[in-house]
Amino acid sequence: MGNIMDLPAMESKNQTLMRLENVSRNFVMGEVIVEALRDVTLEINAGEILAILGPSGSGKSTLLNIVGGMDRPSTGRVIYEGEDLTRVSDDLLGRFRRHEVGFVFQFYNLIPDLTAWENVEITAELVESPSSVAKVLEEVGLADRAYHFPSQLSGGEQQRVSIARAMVKNPRLLLCDEPTGALDHQTGSMVLSLLANVSRSLGSAVVIVTHNTVIGDMADRVIRMRSGKVAEIITNPDPLPPERISW
Amino acid sequence: MAVALVVMIGVSIYISMNTAYYNLDHSRDVFYRENHFADYYFHVVRAPYQVIKRIEALSGVDMVTGRVQMDVPLMRENADRGTIRLTGYHLPLDKEVNRIQLLSGRMFDKDPSGGRIEVLTDPQFAAANRLNPGDSLVVAAQGREVTLTVTGTAGGPEFIYPMKDAASLMPEPESFGIIMAPLNQVQQVLGYPGQVNQVLITVAPGYDEEKVAEQVEKILEPYGNLASYPRKDQLSHAMLDAELEGLQKSASSLPAVFLVLAAVIQYVMLGRMIKTQRREIGILKALGFDRRRIVMHYAGYSMMITLLGAVLGIIFGIMLSSVFSKAYAIFFNLPQEIGGLNVKAIFYGLIFSLAAGAAAGLGASRGILSLNPAESMRSEPPRVSGRIGLERWTWLWRKLDNYWRMSIRTVWRNGWRSFFTMVGVMFAAGMLIIAFFADDSMDYMLTQHFAFEKSYDYLIRFTEPVKEYEILNISRLEGVVKSEPLLEVPVRVSFGVREEDDLLLGMNPGTTLKTVFNEDGDLLAIPQDGVLMNDMTAKKLGVKVGDQVTIETRMQSGVSQETSLKVLGINHQMIGSGSYVSLKQANQVLRESRIVTAVMLKVDPGKAADIEKELNRMTGVSSIQSRQRELEGFEKQMGYMIYFVVIMVSFAVILGFAIVYNSSVIGFSERQRELALLKMMGFSDREVGGLLLRETLLQSIPGMLLGLPFGRMMSQWWVAAISTEAFTFPVVVYPRTYIVSAIFGVLFVLVAHWFASRGIRHIEPTELLKNND
Repeated sequence: MGNIMDLPAMESKNQTLMRLENVSRNFVMGEVIVEALRDVTLEINAGEILAILGPSGSGKSTLLNIVGGMDRPSTGRVIYEGEDLTRVSDDLLGRFRRHEVGFVFQFYNLIPDLTAWENVEITAELVESPSSVAKVLEEVGLADRAYHFPSQLSGGEQQRVSIARAMVKNPRLLLCDEPTGALDHQTGSMVLSLLANVSRSLGSAVVIVTHNTVIGDMADRVIRMRSGKVAEIITNPDPLPPERISW
Repeated sequence: MAVALVVMIGVSIYISMNTAYYNLDHSRDVFYRENHFADYYFHVVRAPYQVIKRIEALSGVDMVTGRVQMDVPLMRENADRGTIRLTGYHLPLDKEVNRIQLLSGRMFDKDPSGGRIEVLTDPQFAAANRLNPGDSLVVAAQGREVTLTVTGTAGGPEFIYPMKDAASLMPEPESFGIIMAPLNQVQQVLGYPGQVNQVLITVAPGYDEEKVAEQVEKILEPYGNLASYPRKDQLSHAMLDAELEGLQKSASSLPAVFLVLAAVIQYVMLGRMIKTQRREIGILKALGFDRRRIVMHYAGYSMMITLLGAVLGIIFGIMLSSVFSKAYAIFFNLPQEIGGLNVKAIFYGLIFSLAAGAAAGLGASRGILSLNPAESMRSEPPRVSGRIGLERWTWLWRKLDNYWRMSIRTVWRNGWRSFFTMVGVMFAAGMLIIAFFADDSMDYMLTQHFAFEKSYDYLIRFTEPVKEYEILNISRLEGVVKSEPLLEVPVRVSFGVREEDDLLLGMNPGTTLKTVFNEDGDLLAIPQDGVLMNDMTAKKLGVKVGDQVTIETRMQSGVSQETSLKVLGINHQMIGSGSYVSLKQANQVLRESRIVTAVMLKVDPGKAADIEKELNRMTGVSSIQSRQRELEGFEKQMGYMIYFVVIMVSFAVILGFAIVYNSSVIGFSERQRELALLKMMGFSDREVGGLLLRETLLQSIPGMLLGLPFGRMMSQWWVAAISTEAFTFPVVVYPRTYIVSAIFGVLFVLVAHWFASRGIRHIEPTELLKNND
């Protein structure tokens, strides 16, 4: 992997980027009301790796949606840089996602009709000061596969393109939903290393949602979710390098 | 709903056109049969009435009628000249060939009191001139004025489409009408005591029409055979036949376009729906549901949409057939009501549309049902993409941004769907051209005819040929700027074994008030010797430039003369017909010297009214044809075309909208995950909509561009279908029509796209975070 030290200025670690205050989210399913999130309060800090763990149905994905500006809570506040995101318009929320947030999904979600290069480039065009497309592809080790289509890449390669796509925007928040869920251990480990690098060099807050508890070992903090509530928040003083964790 | 609309249009066109065809055809057949429509016509100079008995005795002749018929000038107070076709009928009418049916008022009396002449008129002439029973008409015959008393209106099989002659494009009821009167009185008025100038026959079943006609011609030869022709060449019948032929062709082809396109749209949409429900289908199969039930379920969707469209189409088709019926009632003088339901058309319309829908449904369901349940329940394999041919043009490809690259690859990858969308838009754009071209063609014809071919203000015809110097009486009227003589000679032209009736027009070389062109639009000079043959006549005879033809004169009076003339050119006229020779040549053909039958005038516009007044006082003048009034009459008739234009434009827009809307909706539903991703990444609704719009445009614009020349081709096909030997018109599409059609096309594409992409607003990016499994 290349050196990503020449990427834009780092946020100072521990600076609070986002704060969730008493956030709840309910869904109406016919006659039943499902409480997906219940009274969640937490902070997300710049430069940290935050793992959100929990079984299926614990509210992890719902929490990620709200943090990423893709959903609004039923009650509570989401404060980002002094702005309450629960009160802004859809347009502003869209701009928040455009400029501030990068996403990495379990199943990559690349645009099949664009090459790796084009997938990254189309995202770079969204922001005013993106990183160089060539550089980020080189950093994820895909410079020689830049002109291949997603269908011509392996799962791990596609996930690396997905990370490059997220990185090129220099996002302050990098949100990952089961980023290693579809990958074997070796490839998954490579992906986790990349994510750790992004956190260190860009100063982005990397939030990883997973049901794989081992990943919590590499995180600065671990939030355990159960039945829509934050069961516990654990600070990890010595997070392990991604290469040393195995599952 | 859009698909249902397309089905509706197809079914309604099928029902309305087939109903109109059936009703018109049926009404015509009944009317012809009940009124003994003639199989053959013979025009003679004059023959004794007794000749009818000899013709009746021929074994091949079923019925025969002798009569007198002649066009005479109508004298009116407002100095407007008209022409009426005075026709004599022998009472009682039961045994008459081409007998008439009373429509209003009462039948004329053979010997009314007070020495009056009682007449019936055709209903359109009566309506245009506001004639009621008891009103009088004054005509000029044999140099004197004759008063006729109208007792009512009537119709006959030879007057269904009452046109003055083949040169007229449309009926002109204000200035031309049919007057029906007792034969004895017509003979008296026109100077045919105990004589006839026309013989009509019906041929007995099983006899050869041509052979019977030859026998009749032999009997009539001593009396000056002017013309003889079968029913198919009778003007009213020929016009009606052409209309029916055109209608029949349109009734079968146009609905097919809509029904096939509706089936294709349904096939593609249903295929997409089945793909998105593959997991549910897999579950049903795993649970034990048999294929037939699953196919019926999905085919049922298609049938429901088709049934909805068909029901709407039946209702709309019945309404539309009423509109067609009324339109035909305006043009065709049929006493029977042209109306009624055609149950057969409704039945077949329903069957065809359901068959198309069923084919679409069954065809679309085939693919998924071949998969085993386990495979069906797995997610759809990811889309495979790759480079397309266009990317080899790197100089162009590099200039495109990622949005265009994505769109072009998507359109290319969905080859068949893109192709069908393009073809659908092509048809819609083509229909827009058809909607507008008729107006362009008529405009071109009228401009050519009234601005270039004819530059006189008036054409004055005389009751009989006069010496050329006599036209000085007219030329010297105050306000006449220029006058040029004309000699019109009805002739029969022979070339080998073929012969055709034609009109020879003699003008001085260098005449400017009437000009003659060939098919390429080149001016033809009137030759001193030889003839510029009419292109229709030349085609029928197989004549080319340089050929020698035999001309036999067929004047009302005088002996028939025969001459051989060389064809020096082929003339083409937008409206009308006739072959041109020099005035001297025309006189030579008649073995006459310096006679004319008409004069063309150019007048000072300020003096036109006074000149017309003077001319109307002259009893030797048979008709005064005003170029301006003739043009106004055409333009008024052309006003009816607006209904046709509105209907066709509406159909084209609905078809185009449905095609583009459905294609956009399918594209939208296939790309929902991608679109959600883009929104999640921060693309605005407008940017996402722009992506879909690019794809829509990539499919629609080529279709639209191809549709413009395709529309011209369809117009040419249509004109070829409705053209007859007597009548055709050029296909002209002005540049503005292409532009207007393209604008309409762009509009329906944009509107359809807007409707289809409204759902972008409601895409939930959170859907993306749901696992695939």
